Order: sequence, then C-alpha cells, then structure tokens
Amino acid sequence: MQCSQCGNSKVIYKREQSGQLLCKDCFIESIEKKAIKTVRKEKLLDKGDKVLVALSGGKDSVTTLEILNSFREMNVIDLCAVTVDEGIANYRQDGVDIAKRHAERLGIEHKVVSLKEDYGITLDEIMQRPNHKGSCTYCGVFRRTIINKAAREMGATKIATGHNLDDEVQGIMMNYLEGNTDNLTKLGAKTESQAEEFTVKIKPLREIPEREIGLYVVAKELEVHFDSCPYAMQSFRGEVSEVINQLAEKHPTIKYSTLRGYDKIKGVLKKEMQKEYAHGRCKRCGEPSANDLCKACSFLEELGV
Amino acid sequence: MEFTLKFKDLNEKREIPNDDYTIKDLLNELELSAQTVVSKQNGELVIEDTVIQEDDEIQLVQIIYGG
Ligand code: SF4
Ligand SMILES: [Zn+2]
Ligand SMILES: [Zn+2]
Repeated sequence: MQCSQCGNSKVIYKREQSGQLLCKDCFIESIEKKAIKTVRKEKLLDKGDKVLVALSGGKDSVTTLEILNSFREMNVIDLCAVTVDEGIANYRQDGVDIAKRHAERLGIEHKVVSLKEDYGITLDEIMQRPNHKGSCTYCGVFRRTIINKAAREMGATKIATGHNLDDEVQGIMMNYLEGNTDNLTKLGAKTESQAEEFTVKIKPLREIPEREIGLYVVAKELEVHFDSCPYAMQSFRGEVSEVINQLAEKHPTIKYSTLRGYDKIKGVLKKEMQKEYAHGRCKRCGEPSANDLCKACSFLEELGV
Repeated sequence: MEFTLKFKDLNEKREIPNDDYTIKDLLNELELSAQTVVSKQNGELVIEDTVIQEDDEIQLVQIIYGG
C-alpha cells in the first residue's frame, strides 16, 4: 500500500469517496489545502480583516485557528479568539485551558467569557431549574450573544466558527425536514449580515468531513479537548446525523452532494424565503432584536436573573 | 500471541484470536465505529485494515462524540 500522492508506504488514511490513499504529510496538506480553497472560493477573508475565532478547545475550533493562522502568518489578516465558559462542571474547564494554551502559543489576543460572570448563572444552575428548556437551547443562544458581543468589543470584522461538513449537512437536512425555511436561508459558508451590529460569520471547514478533522489534529499533534458534554443527549440533530452516516456508508459522496445541492439553491431560497430583518432593539441589553427582549434576555427574565 | 490495547482508561493485554486479525476486527469486537476513532500502531497512525502483530501496542483515540 502506498500514498497516492508521494508513494510513501506509511498510509494513514483511505478516502472512501475517491479511494485515495494518503500518508501523514500528504493528508495534513490535503486538509489545509481544502480549507484554504474554501476560503478563496467563498471569499471568506478580505485583506486586513481581524478574525475572531470562536475557540472551544475542541478539534473543529482548534483546526479553524490553525488554518486561519496561516493567513495571519502571510500578513493577510489579524487573529483573535474568544472562549465561552458555560459553567459545565467536569467538562468545560479542560477546553478553556487548552484554548488558552493555543492562544498563548500563537501569541494572539484571547478572551474567556463566563456565563456566570456575564449573566450571574451557570448552565449547571439553569439545569437545576424545574422548567428548563433543555441545556442546548440556552447554551446556543447565550454563546451566540456572547460571541457577537466579543466581536464588537475586540473590533473583529469576521467571526470564524468550526462548522464542518457533517455539521453543515445536518443543518441542511434538519431544517429541510422540519420545514424551517427561514433557518435554511441562514446556512452557508458566509452569513451576509443584515445589521451592522452583527459581524459576518465564516466557516472555513464546511467542506471537510468531521472524521478528517479528528484525524488532522491527531496527525498534527495539536492539543484538543476530546470529550462529550454531560448534557449531550438524544436530539433531533443526532438522529438526522445517524441517518446521514448510514447512507454515507453505501454512498460515500452523499454529504458533498447534499452540500453542493444546497449551495446551488441557496440564492433562490434567500430571495424567496428570507424574512425581513427586524430593526428593533432589546429593551434590556440593547442587542438587535425583533421583539422587546432578545432571546438571551427573555431566557434571563424567565430564569429570574 | 498477545497485543496491548490502549483506549481511554483501558490499558490491557489481549489475545490475538486468529491470523490476519485487523484493527477493524478489533473495532467490531469493541462495538466501535471506524468513523469515530483513529488508530495508532506502536505510536504511529495507521488505517483500520492494518493487521495486528504480536506485542503491538494498539491505541484507539475517540475523535467523535455523539451530541
Ligand atoms: S451539548 Fe453541551 S456544550 Fe453542546 S450545546 Fe448542548 S449543552 Fe452546550
Ligand atoms: Zn504522501
Ligand atoms: Zn437582550
């Protein structure tokens, strides 16, 4: 067995969709090239951008940081990072520490924002409440709010997230199956922000399968937090992911074709389906919001904090 | 014929049950999906078709967690 690229006999990966065999160096190079290609093709970066990486310390965000750092080294962009500490005992701290070490290693500006300090409550405390809406509901909303705020405070022009091919395809299928056409218009490589207060979000890894990102960090010996959140449970996303992975066993290109298909109809979708942006403001925190209170603040009111 | 398996907190000696016993066979036995782990043989990344040899140290790293 030999690497299809260079002939090296130490093969570490077989690409199911193409039959390609790759040695460690060629595999690492292929991932970096792929992400850089997405950045170029989708015009994710402009010269002089200051990109804020949402850095959890997991494989996807650490890889995002690593890829974007190559653009920083070429003096195309500046880089900074934010880590959200939701307050999940025996889980989040390891990721926070790893995120800090990466930021230090690269010498970039890094901020850790905790739910406790910002909102006076941890996710663990929310989960003690009898009528909570499920951990991931709060987690997602607070995280988004915190990252948007951090982007403004740090003067970032773009926010980069670690969404990979699997995340993106799950999002497409979930929203389609749920008939959520509004959310369907919001996916894609780059969010075009409608309000100035929202920083543009980019996803450099959206064409890379999750498993390849996992292998990349191990091959590159990047320190990451491999663990599952104690609140991760059976969710609709999980069910959809299972079905897609099952299909992918016999049809190895299915994730790519789903993504391509979505990208082709996205323009039409947006034109036909996108809701008008609401120009209101949250009464409590001043963030842009369609209603009197933004989602984060309405949760806080319900929780009485 | 034995090899060493390292996986999470596990560090144990296991019998090699037959010739041509691959990492994929081991994953099946452990009911792990090749989609969620990567494998190292004596410290080096390998593909799942790799045959496990006597005295090998096989390390499995779970890279994907549900949820
Ligand atoms: S699985 Fe855990 S970390 Fe992920 S969104 Fe849910 S609560 Fe937050
Ligand atoms: Zn090679
Ligand atoms: Zn608000």
